[in-house]
Amino acid sequence: MQPTEKTSPGPVVDGRPSSRKRWDTTDLSLVAVFAALIAALAIVPGIPVGPLGVPITLQTLGVMLTGVVLGPGRGTAAVLLYLAAGLIGLPVFSGFSGGFGVLAGPSAGYLIAFPPAALVAGLLARAVLRRAARFRTVLLFLACVVASLSTIHPLGVAGLMVNADLSLRDAVLVDAAYLPGDIVKNVLAALLAVSVHRAFPRLLARPRA
Amino acid sequence: MRGFGSTLGLYRPGEGLLYRWPLAPKAAASLGCAIAVVGWGSVPTTSTVLALALAGLLIGARQSVLQTVRMLLPAAPVLGILALHQGLSQGWVQAFVVVGGIAGCLLAARSVTLTTPLQVLLDGTASLARPFRRLGADPERFALALSIMLRSIPYLAGLFVDVREAARARGLERSPRVAVTPLVLGAVAYAHRTGEALAARGLGEHDEGDDRGQDHERVVG
Repeated sequence: MQPTEKTSPGPVVDGRPSSRKRWDTTDLSLVAVFAALIAALAIVPGIPVGPLGVPITLQTLGVMLTGVVLGPGRGTAAVLLYLAAGLIGLPVFSGFSGGFGVLAGPSAGYLIAFPPAALVAGLLARAVLRRAARFRTVLLFLACVVASLSTIHPLGVAGLMVNADLSLRDAVLVDAAYLPGDIVKNVLAALLAVSVHRAFPRLLARPRA
Repeated sequence: MRGFGSTLGLYRPGEGLLYRWPLAPKAAASLGCAIAVVGWGSVPTTSTVLALALAGLLIGARQSVLQTVRMLLPAAPVLGILALHQGLSQGWVQAFVVVGGIAGCLLAARSVTLTTPLQVLLDGTASLARPFRRLGADPERFALALSIMLRSIPYLAGLFVDVREAARARGLERSPRVAVTPLVLGAVAYAHRTGEALAARGLGEHDEGDDRGQDHERVVG
């Protein structure tokens, strides 16, 4: 079921003509439900993957997916809402129980990287969906890879160095252990995003004028 | 829908000093612990944070030692590996500083969520957005989004379990794509239904003046 298009964005009330003013209730609930989706993926035990059955947690999948499905604005808002819920102490982060304590934890850098990751993935995905008619899965996969390599991994390494007191070399080694899983998750995010945009074509492809 | 709602039941009724404190000083102390550990990692900092957190839980919230230790279980594997690595590479004092600091911060944060009812926590969070109203923040919509999110987590987690069971029944549990696609499509559809339900009730619109004339355009499901 698709929401009907909103034709009049309404008067700009406080002289701030940002996209916020045009978010209707469906946008609001997409933001909230995707924040919940990241939380659900983070707290449900990981899926065993491949012949060895090594479980991967799906928290970063949720973040990437949110970016490429909702686009930069709503995607970033959803990830920020997820972080806010975790920081006030709701148990929505993988492993740790949430609260300000995670800011001192070894994975703080990864958490801080989530909003910019969704932003970058969302910006690239929006460009892909509006311009490219073919190879969308591959292009969306590349968008996720660029987003995760430019935000999640550098900030994650920085967090490991500051909070876990690892040397740069050790931090990069620890971070590298996540790379194969990350590639799998990015492939998955791209496949899922293509399915979602096929089922709900108006989510992102239409210019939000 | 399954029993995942209980995952969010963080508040445990009890008695003690921390239960009577308002949220603000508790949250500020918890945040202060995290800032101190990140900013000034040293033996005195870690000892102080650990002592504060333990005092808060054991005396302020009247938890038993066993209950307190159990709070660290989810983080135990990571903390254990980290302690071993730090101890072998940089000495056990440094291991204490790093791992003790993290554990102290986690316990401090837990002491806040343990002693504060969820609704108080949510109201406090929404009121944090109030000073930013001038910058375009909207505390009411923020609070609404937060409560929709909380309501959706048990639904989505239950949907996830159902979808995985369906995939397992077909022998496809090793294929994450099969296991996750219906979940994500279900989430988008659920968001659309929720958005329409909100619109039908006139909730969550950013400004009342904007709503005029739009009721006719909207197909309410």
